[in-house]
Amino acid sequence: MTHIELVELKKTYPGNHQPVLNHLSLEIHSGELVALLGPSGSGKSTILKLITGLENPDDGQILFDGKSILPVAPNKRGAILMFQKAYLFPFLNVEENIGFGLKVQGANPETIRTEVKKMLNLIGLPEVEKRKPSQLSGGEQQRIALARALILQPKSMLLDEPLSSLDTEVRVNLQEAIRRIQQELGITTILVTHDLNEAMGMSDRTALLINGQVAAVDQPMKLFTSPPTQSSARFVGVSTFFKGNLANGVLTTDLGKLSVNTNGHHADSALFAIRPEHIRVQTEPNTNTLQGVVSDCMYRGEYIEYQVEIQSLNVRARVPMPAPVIPHGENIYVYFPPEKLFEVSQK
Amino acid sequence: MKNQAAVFFRIFLYGILIAPLVLFVLYAFSERWFFPALLPTSWTTNIVTRMLNDSRTTSGLFISIGIAMLVSFLSLVIGFPAARTLGSRVFRGRQIAWLIFFLPTVVPPLAVGMGLNILFLRLGWTGTLFGVILAHLVPTLPYTIFTLSGVFSRYDENYEHQALVLGSSRLRIFFTVTLRLVFPGLVVAALFAFLISWSQYLLTLLIGGGKILTLPMLLFSAVSGGNPTSIAALSLLFVTPPVIIIAASARFLVQHGKTIREQY
Repeated sequence: MTHIELVELKKTYPGNHQPVLNHLSLEIHSGELVALLGPSGSGKSTILKLITGLENPDDGQILFDGKSILPVAPNKRGAILMFQKAYLFPFLNVEENIGFGLKVQGANPETIRTEVKKMLNLIGLPEVEKRKPSQLSGGEQQRIALARALILQPKSMLLDEPLSSLDTEVRVNLQEAIRRIQQELGITTILVTHDLNEAMGMSDRTALLINGQVAAVDQPMKLFTSPPTQSSARFVGVSTFFKGNLANGVLTTDLGKLSVNTNGHHADSALFAIRPEHIRVQTEPNTNTLQGVVSDCMYRGEYIEYQVEIQSLNVRARVPMPAPVIPHGENIYVYFPPEKLFEVSQK
Repeated sequence: MKNQAAVFFRIFLYGILIAPLVLFVLYAFSERWFFPALLPTSWTTNIVTRMLNDSRTTSGLFISIGIAMLVSFLSLVIGFPAARTLGSRVFRGRQIAWLIFFLPTVVPPLAVGMGLNILFLRLGWTGTLFGVILAHLVPTLPYTIFTLSGVFSRYDENYEHQALVLGSSRLRIFFTVTLRLVFPGLVVAALFAFLISWSQYLLTLLIGGGKILTLPMLLFSAVSGGNPTSIAALSLLFVTPPVIIIAASARFLVQHGKTIREQY
């Protein structure tokens, strides 16, 4: 299939000083699904517009299998875009909608009919050919939009939050369907989302976009448990950071000493982080505990979330049930398992 | 109570719309109708048949229809890009563009007409069909642009983007996607332009200089003639085409209104 390479992409929208994309580079391997995750305004959707040709980059290159596609007209690139709304043509029925692209290519009606049938079976919605889009639910409309894209056997699929306006159940169903079909057909796919779970659950690799640059890109599990930078760590839900002097596997911070797992390197100023679900609270001091005061304790169903103030540092810990409810103002000890503390760069 | 008021209002509305038409019909087919008779005492179709056999009237009818159709088509062609830009883009000088497009509806028609007359005299366009059509565009364009820009302010370009990535060329998108999405709006705008051109008297008189005889021109000369029967017959002929057109498009517009609402 298609190997996509984004090289040093730069884009500034007219009237804005801040570039949306600032020398962004990213490689998407053939047949891979890469999720672009980032806050709004991070340039996720712009990347898709550049690849499809709806916008042009100010600078940089976009390569499909090593060849630049920038000179190619948007309707000849073979990159299909799906939006948050299905955008089925309201004046066409389902069959005509799905067959739209083939009709443009000049396929004969018989071929179109059989291909449409195949697509409807693939997306699990047989026998809706004659319906109008307005007679379908939001989830069904998105499935039809997916079929309309897939019928062209696209080189790549670009999904711009196609599921974010759907109900949870429908969304999960469609996530599974898209992932299954994408893997079956081996279509190189970029999924833009602001939903961490969606990115983690669907992608081969997830790229974190912050301020128009790729802050981190890795397999979801690695990105989730050990994000490389402070800002990317914050984005995947890490809120506890320790800064201090690192020597002989011990991090000396303003709050106390913590032992950490390192390959033995030294640093005057190192930054370590830990995920909230890896932090534990206990009543007795131990190695790697710091004393603090509970400022909040909230029952969240599957876990209890504690907010603990350790001097000036506010630590959020998620402890799975069963866990004790600790009253506000109580003194406790917070345990940071050494193997769970990971180093991040201070970007 | 509320229902009764609504019914009453409906009857009143239909009354003021239909009453003049009834009067036209009565007059057009009456032979003898003197005070104090409530209805004509004897009827005839002579006046109407004579009018329909009069070559001046029939040519007036065809010229009027021809001019109105051409004007509404040209209004759409010219108004479409303007409306799309005004309706969907924000740019510097947008307010001024609006003002310029709407000026003809604010300035007294006579002033516009005289100005056009002077200009067209110099260009040699007075007394020509071309000149009259051009003059009619001045009052019709603001209405077409206004109607279509309303359509485009709610228009979602992503339908076009979708068609583009599915392989359509820009030209194909225009005909198979854009035009079909805004089609109901086009019909309304065309109707407006048709009706305005259809009932145009002043500009036809000033620019046509009496050489282009449309139905309103014939109607005005009949009015100054003072024969109520022929006035009524001509008036009847004058209102019939617009009524037919509106009645025919009303059903279509109601249906499309529904699909548009579903769409947004």
